[in-house]
Amino acid sequence: MAVPQGLTLEHHRNLEGRQRRPVVRRVLVALLAGILLLGLLNLFGQRVDASSAETSGARLEVSAPTKVRGGIFFQARFRIQAVEEIANATVVLHPDWLEDITLNTVEPSPVGEASRDGRIALELGRIPAGDEHRLYLHFQVNPTGLGKRSQDVDLYDGGRLLLSLDRDAIVWP
Amino acid sequence: MDIVLRATLAFFFVLFVTRIVGRRELASLQPFDLILLVMIGDLVQQGVTQNDFSVTGLVLAGGTIAVLTVVVSYGSFRVPFLRPVLDGEPVIVVQDGEPIDRNLARNRITLGELLAAARQEGIGSLDRIEWAVLETSGRISFIERR
Repeated sequence: MAVPQGLTLEHHRNLEGRQRRPVVRRVLVALLAGILLLGLLNLFGQRVDASSAETSGARLEVSAPTKVRGGIFFQARFRIQAVEEIANATVVLHPDWLEDITLNTVEPSPVGEASRDGRIALELGRIPAGDEHRLYLHFQVNPTGLGKRSQDVDLYDGGRLLLSLDRDAIVWP
Repeated sequence: MDIVLRATLAFFFVLFVTRIVGRRELASLQPFDLILLVMIGDLVQQGVTQNDFSVTGLVLAGGTIAVLTVVVSYGSFRVPFLRPVLDGEPVIVVQDGEPIDRNLARNRITLGELLAAARQEGIGSLDRIEWAVLETSGRISFIERR
């Protein structure tokens, strides 16, 4: 009973020299499963991360994913609570907010927009003491975007800095 | 540039996945497997082309996949030690009418599935089989006793 041509009993039946392959395969499957687990643990986004800063006169809370991927849509919500009246509330965003990221909508529309030393300033107008202003920005990540981004936000009353919030985001391919 | 890199990554990811899932899954094309294949194709396409609807994008992505297919196939042909990694190797699963349980188990093939594959080749009994070989394509080839 001849073995079919091209095959040997040692290698193709007894699998000599191939003993470690199932282990290698299991390790690779585990590696793949590990990546999926990291995905479940939000390493690749896009769970919302909220961060806040406050002073005696105002409080700012930013809720937005800090891990996003190319092509996805996401929302950033800015809650500004005025403990004392803010005459001309202005949210100033680090330009990375819009670097390789398309801004689809801003609601409610700011009273004015400007560049403040290269940063994006959105003037929201007056916020009476005790009131809250919510600003929603909706984005889509450009597919070519990649890497770390600053999500720093400053809150001004006119030209006076009220508070700053330091955040970072990462854009996965 | 990005689209070529994404297509390259997708190509090697699909190659990696098909190599680690094992041959059993590659051979069985049940309705569920067919749907799964279409789903994977769709997911890969979205990752490669994303929002690019251009003909240029099509040429770049399609061309990358085609060139890599040739490169991998040529590599497998020219470099013998790459063959087991890229294509896998055949495994004898039946010798002289006797199933080799260890090799069947290693490839997650039950005796019932082996018999079903034999029936599809018009073989009603293992006694008639001299050799059965699980090929790199995932199909089982049978050599009957003379």
